[in-house]
Amino acid sequence: MNLLDIKNLHVKLEDEDREILRGLTLSVKPGEVHAIMGPNGSGKSTLSYVLSGREGYEVTEGSVTFKGEDLLEMAPEMRAAKGVFLAFQYPIEIPGVATMQFLKVALNAQRKARGEKELSTPDFMRLVKDRAAKLNVTQDMLKRPVNVGFSGGEKKRAEILQMAVLEPSLCILDETDSGLDIDALRVVADGVNALRSPDRAMIVITHYQRLLDYIVPDFVHVLSAGRIVKSGDKGLARELEAKGYAEFSKDAA
Amino acid sequence: MNALPVRTEAEQALGFDLPHRRMEEWRWTDLRQLVDRPYPPRQKEVAAAGDVERLLASSLFRNVAATRMVFVNGEYDAAHSRMANGWVESRIPMEDPLVRLNTSFATDGARLKFEGNTDTPVELVFIATDAAPRMLATHNVIEVADNSSATLIETHLGAGTYLSSSITEIRVGHGARLDRVKSEIEAPGATHLAHADVTLAHSATLRDFTLTTGARVNRQNGTYRFAGEYADARVSGAYLLAGRQHADTRLVVDHQLANCVSRELFKCVLGEQARGIFQGKVIVRPGAQKTDGKQSSHALLLSGTAEFDAKPELEIYADDVACGHGATAGELNHDHLFYLKSRGIPEAEAKALLIAAFAGEAFETIHHDGLREALTAFAAHWLTQHRRAS
Repeated sequence: MNLLDIKNLHVKLEDEDREILRGLTLSVKPGEVHAIMGPNGSGKSTLSYVLSGREGYEVTEGSVTFKGEDLLEMAPEMRAAKGVFLAFQYPIEIPGVATMQFLKVALNAQRKARGEKELSTPDFMRLVKDRAAKLNVTQDMLKRPVNVGFSGGEKKRAEILQMAVLEPSLCILDETDSGLDIDALRVVADGVNALRSPDRAMIVITHYQRLLDYIVPDFVHVLSAGRIVKSGDKGLARELEAKGYAEFSKDAA
Repeated sequence: MNALPVRTEAEQALGFDLPHRRMEEWRWTDLRQLVDRPYPPRQKEVAAAGDVERLLASSLFRNVAATRMVFVNGEYDAAHSRMANGWVESRIPMEDPLVRLNTSFATDGARLKFEGNTDTPVELVFIATDAAPRMLATHNVIEVADNSSATLIETHLGAGTYLSSSITEIRVGHGARLDRVKSEIEAPGATHLAHADVTLAHSATLRDFTLTTGARVNRQNGTYRFAGEYADARVSGAYLLAGRQHADTRLVVDHQLANCVSRELFKCVLGEQARGIFQGKVIVRPGAQKTDGKQSSHALLLSGTAEFDAKPELEIYADDVACGHGATAGELNHDHLFYLKSRGIPEAEAKALLIAAFAGEAFETIHHDGLREALTAFAAHWLTQHRRAS
């Protein structure tokens, strides 16, 4: 069974008539890594927001089924509890909320929603310590308010740490490579690769092929003007790197 | 030709003219309107069995190790107090109407002098038990001797409909330090009118925090005077208000002498039709050079019908000073909310986290961990548990 089925998805902004996604179709099975590449404005970020339930978008046509259920009917927190995780392109800074507290509230809220027992404080601390060490997330970062004063690389590592702690079944990585130098990129990619597993799928959204040298996808899709115009294997990413998106942007015009 | 306005019923019962909106400092808090029924001065009352214990247990600081002094219906209650009252002379100026009202009727109050370094906080608890509407007035005088330090908690709570008038007069001695935490968690039907009058000597330190969350109507005045150089006063507060609650804080920080520091920070969470007001005045007298005085007030509006008014005033008569003020009002940040929800945190819990984070900035000056934690926990649960219905 597919983990995620997006069928003929049409999306526009609530306060604008212009469609951003115009008939996007994509199926993802557990264990697969799909890369979605495309020029700026092709709808990559919109796709990630619509899947995670951000306000401000209106689905005018089509459906999204996740684990056999209508994803679009669920509130964002319910999607998260069911296993959807979005690693933000620009992680949000939240002053006054300590990272540790945030992680604990989030994890226990998800467990509660799934009817699981909440994790005790010592068990939670052990879990976070273990996952944080692998991502070079320091104790100091964990004590600070969520993302406040973090560098670009620290923010992305913190996103992956959240992913590692929350253990979602569908990870959506939105331009995770943006603003990272090559060393930071390697740490983040290692963190992501460590989370690859037969029952977890990933959608890696990126403008550049570079990230895909480190997180090697099973499938590559080209998104242009709101729909997938070409699909292939990892070779397609290299082709795009060489030729650019020019071939597809005609389509956008 | 100005005819005296006819006294309201409430004024007749008190035999006292209440301040009203045509007085500049009272423009948002017209007590002639807000004190909407007679509150005759207190009659001698005996609290029903168990009332005091039950109300005492609602103090936010019940689990913080503290020495308690309890006032029930305006009178020292030996049975529930763990320390004896003392005597310190009042020196408060009589200009303010709230001070005059209080001193006309005050029945009792803590009169304490702290000498040496007192590690355990002292909690003064003022309790109004459920009875006929009436006024209760208490007048505290607190002195911290030179080079001494103390932590003072003031808790105001009760049941029913009543008017609580409170004065706290504070003198912090040379090189002394006072940490004061006040929690106004009065009954939803209560009116709380308070005045704090604080004098700081040379090199004195004050950390003064007030939580305002209980009463239907709240007006709190504070006057902070520097009577010596190199003193440092940080005055902060948090409002957690909903329903039709009304709270107005007016502070006057008077830099009479050079080289003193003052900071005011108020964080106001306002839901439903609540109204929050912050008026802060900083006076820098001639010669008070190197004054460093800043104030800010920030409101978080949880509904389109909540209202926040801020009135900063600077009166500066010296040229080598650093003074400033700022005020903001806004709603919950949608990006913050979405980020929290996208991690599985339900909407109500996400809002509660953001409210606690917003108010929490005002708790940061509180030195005592137990007090700060108790306030943080209260703020985190306020939205779901403590919020008053309108």
